[in-house]
Amino acid sequence: MRVVDERLPRLIVWTITIIGFVAIYAPPLYLLGVSFNPSLQPGLPSPSELTLQWYGALASERALLNALWHSLLIATGTAIAATVLSLMAALAYVELRDRRSTWFLFVLLPMFVPGVIQGLALSVIMTRVGIKASALTVMAGHLMWAMPFAFIVILTSFAAVKNSYLMSAADLGASRWRQFRDITLPLIRPGLVSAFIFSFLLSLNEFSRAFYLAGRQNTLPVVLFGKMNSGASPTIYAMSGAIFLVSVVCVAAIAIRSLMRRPQ
Amino acid sequence: MKIFPAAPAALMSAPVLAIALLGIAPLVVVVAWSFWAWDPSTYWIKPELSFAGYAAILEAGRWTVILSTMFKAALTAIICLLIAYPTAYAVQFLASRRLAMIMLALMTIPFFTSYLIRSFSWRLVLGRTGVINTFLQDIGLTSAPIDWLLFSDFAVIVGLVASYLPFATFPLILSMQRVDPVLISAARDLGAGFWTVLRTVLLPLTRSGIFAGFLFVFVMAVGSSTEVQMLGGAGASIVSVMISDVMRVANFPLAFAISTVVLVVIFGLVLIGDRRLGLARLFEDRSQ
Repeated sequence: MRVVDERLPRLIVWTITIIGFVAIYAPPLYLLGVSFNPSLQPGLPSPSELTLQWYGALASERALLNALWHSLLIATGTAIAATVLSLMAALAYVELRDRRSTWFLFVLLPMFVPGVIQGLALSVIMTRVGIKASALTVMAGHLMWAMPFAFIVILTSFAAVKNSYLMSAADLGASRWRQFRDITLPLIRPGLVSAFIFSFLLSLNEFSRAFYLAGRQNTLPVVLFGKMNSGASPTIYAMSGAIFLVSVVCVAAIAIRSLMRRPQ
Repeated sequence: MKIFPAAPAALMSAPVLAIALLGIAPLVVVVAWSFWAWDPSTYWIKPELSFAGYAAILEAGRWTVILSTMFKAALTAIICLLIAYPTAYAVQFLASRRLAMIMLALMTIPFFTSYLIRSFSWRLVLGRTGVINTFLQDIGLTSAPIDWLLFSDFAVIVGLVASYLPFATFPLILSMQRVDPVLISAARDLGAGFWTVLRTVLLPLTRSGIFAGFLFVFVMAVGSSTEVQMLGGAGASIVSVMISDVMRVANFPLAFAISTVVLVVIFGLVLIGDRRLGLARLFEDRSQ
């Protein structure tokens, strides 16, 4: 629908919109560009000198690779837990009638807690109780960060489940369990996949909670943070650029696929 | 609709347990501990009522950090709204279906990328040898690099806006989707121009989205830390960074007291926001 035919307002709207997108994307994309520059001085490489040498150099950065491996492990655990728990929370939301907005707020609450405070609170308690900091403690913190997002994504995917489908299945004699397995689950599967990948990325990229909760082996963002502040090197640009690019590609794929599906 | 062969209570048990145990209980304990006294013999706290932590907030200008955090968060939220409102308008009313999809995807991506890496990348843009300074010198606007671009409050606000902009865009888009297009056509048929439609129809009807957008950005910015750590000047602080600094010298009562103040502000705002506009409603017609 087009409601504006005045040129000036339209120009203003588009200009500000573009400024917003540039503010979000230009700096990290510039960083990505810098990571292909052979020079030690940050700057965009000329097309003739594009190089992957800093990405190759990552292979010998043991500290970064160990941290990356540890982060991938934590992200996988977080994503599994967040997807399962959010699915349960979303199913409960659909079944609840009057109290559903209270339930919604309750599941969303951890999202509003500042990472530093959540991480500090969890780590102090765990120390007191005698739980050693490990991958599991980081997962506990990351679960609180990822679950609200996973919950919203799965909840949105329930729009595809029409009551009439379930009623027809019931008429044909399908048990409730069968209805869930054969109708609901396949319909919300894209939501579950998105929730899993989103939770994975949220955990992979999380910094402030992991800062407090990580044990002897730090996660990748914590290690990157240290290196960024002690004189950044091109390998840091390469690792940051690669992680940024992977995150963007994953989310873009999901976003485009799910938006294509949505009927207008 | 009956969708799963189990009572809601059974489904809720595991998420409730996780959120209560890992999310809420630690915060409750921290709030309770903020009223305990420091015990120098154990380097920990003891169960004795004490307001020493809160008294310490008033010392050494710590309360000014809390106030300036609120100020920075509010400023960030306002700037985000000023950028997000036209963006949401463009998505909803100007863009073709295809372009709107691309814009929505581009606004979704930042939620799941690293705030650390995005903040860090601003250093390459704003630094003394960064893109902006190089450009300004190349075109001859300045002869020497401008220093206040990086490691300054200016850089922090820029970083915060870039980080949390999508938190303002989405509530605005959701609230604009609810505006009946007939109302806008009617206003235009009656001769209202763009600015009149905006002032008399669109802004009043999207008030809940504006409020929610402000709330989300404000809350995220109050709790932020990496933007200040990456882009702030020497001695620059924000509540989260102050808590980390206090923890480094093991001043538990003070760290707990600051955390409590921040939690009260944030949850106060979220609950007020929920009461005024019902956060669940923002998502409802998409989920059902």
